[in-house]
Amino acid sequence: MRSAEETREALGKRFPAIEVRPVDPAPNVTVHADALRENLAWLRDELAFDFLVFMTALDRPADDAVELVYRLFSHESRASVVVRVRLPRDGARVPTVSDIFRTAEWHERETAEMFGVEFAGHPDPRKLLLPDDLDGHPLRKDFSHPNLVRLPEAP
Amino acid sequence: MKENVTFGDRDKNVTFGDRDETSPPATSDEFLLNIGPQHPATHGVLRVVVTMDGEVVKDIVPHVGYVHRGLEKLFENRTYEQIIPFTDRTDYLSAIANNFAYVMGVERLLGLEVPEKVQYMRVLMAELNRIASHLLWLAAYGLDMGAFTPFLYAFRDREEIVSMIEEASGGRLTTNYFRVGGFVHDLPREFFPRLRKFISRFGKAVNELDTLLVENAIFVARTRGVGVIGRGRAVSYGMTGPCLRASNASFDVRRDLPYSVYPLFDFEIPVGRNGDTWDRSWVRIEEMRQSLVILRQAMEGFPEGDHKARAPRNIEPPAGEVYSAVEGPRGETGFYIVSDGTRKPYRVKMRKPSFSNFSALPEILRGLKIADLVAVMGSLDLVVPEIDR
Repeated sequence: MRSAEETREALGKRFPAIEVRPVDPAPNVTVHADALRENLAWLRDELAFDFLVFMTALDRPADDAVELVYRLFSHESRASVVVRVRLPRDGARVPTVSDIFRTAEWHERETAEMFGVEFAGHPDPRKLLLPDDLDGHPLRKDFSHPNLVRLPEAP
Repeated sequence: MKENVTFGDRDKNVTFGDRDETSPPATSDEFLLNIGPQHPATHGVLRVVVTMDGEVVKDIVPHVGYVHRGLEKLFENRTYEQIIPFTDRTDYLSAIANNFAYVMGVERLLGLEVPEKVQYMRVLMAELNRIASHLLWLAAYGLDMGAFTPFLYAFRDREEIVSMIEEASGGRLTTNYFRVGGFVHDLPREFFPRLRKFISRFGKAVNELDTLLVENAIFVARTRGVGVIGRGRAVSYGMTGPCLRASNASFDVRRDLPYSVYPLFDFEIPVGRNGDTWDRSWVRIEEMRQSLVILRQAMEGFPEGDHKARAPRNIEPPAGEVYSAVEGPRGETGFYIVSDGTRKPYRVKMRKPSFSNFSALPEILRGLKIADLVAVMGSLDLVVPEIDR
């Protein structure tokens, strides 16, 4: 049984650039898209991060980036870690992790349709929540649709 | 006829034959069965397409998104206070757990301390809500399985909780009771006498329900050993709440990621052994008993004080992000809130238990009989707006 402190130490050894962002106590690790699968598998197998709490994305047009966020939790040490991947907004592409964490299958389908990220090797790349004939990716900041009208700013 | 059957506009291109790429071609014995989007057993607007071989389920493809309202996009265009009533509507059976997770996240972003009395009130409300949600699950599940009587018993007890919540908040299901820093108003004077009466009576009522449904011989025959999911698979599918604990995994946000005043209370976390449909039912019954234990402790230790903290009128948290999760009736209910320092959040991601629990359905169901489909789907306690958001 590994404690949260030991987990934290092992994380620091493998990822020297570990950081803690304001407010949320979980450590953040940024990895390259090509190294994502290898690192998530390592976290699951070596540090017992067996539970992918959720994965989602953040659209950052100012930096011309889409940032993927994977939040992992370990049932053994009760530690959390956030793994981030930064992708270019055009042609955002990352390998799927749905074979490492089965729950990623649906989360990736949702992220793909909402943010326009391609998950290479995904077993079922259909849309999950959106209508099949909807063009565009609604959670991108510059999404526009004839039915979408911006509210006047609150005073 | 197979090619021409469609289900509504959103499925213009999706016909019965749409899954031929991923599944082996149907032989003459196999056929596809469509259930939903409107079907009493789905408890909401969702649809599953089942490949059947006789009455054995070969494969199952869930289709969700019929009640997708784009809440996460909507949140980006609302101020922090305006979001609270929307969180109710993601899961109408546990509005309080959703409020709880959301306002706790905003409070953490703000660095706002809330009074002890508020924490106790939140625990009281959350546990009452958990019991009400489990009772409704039990009632509806009983109906699914052909047992009508437990429905009447469960609704009698649930009505008592719902009217207590109504008295406090003004709402029965979508309560909109929480505010950043506290509550919209204090508990009414009659609340504690009613709660005391409820607690003294409900222990017996749970035993009744237990005997009526969960220990019932017909129910046991239909659920024991049916729809088993092992611990490793359940965790990999991201299952949480009673569905995970039934699979012999002891994980409860109240204990493992402690929040509010839960560490002050002494309660047990029921864990099932086999991960079958019966265990999932049993865990919920035990959870109602444990909620009662928490309620009793919270009522006895209830402090004096104010029902709200001095929160700023305009909520403008500093830039940062937070993930705040509570143990809702269905599992880990979490809000991932990213603030850019303005009055509106940059992004809010809702982590919902039903979403992950439901995604495991094909894994659980393969190889079972069609009659078990209803039993298994009911035992997952799905709330569809929570899956679609």
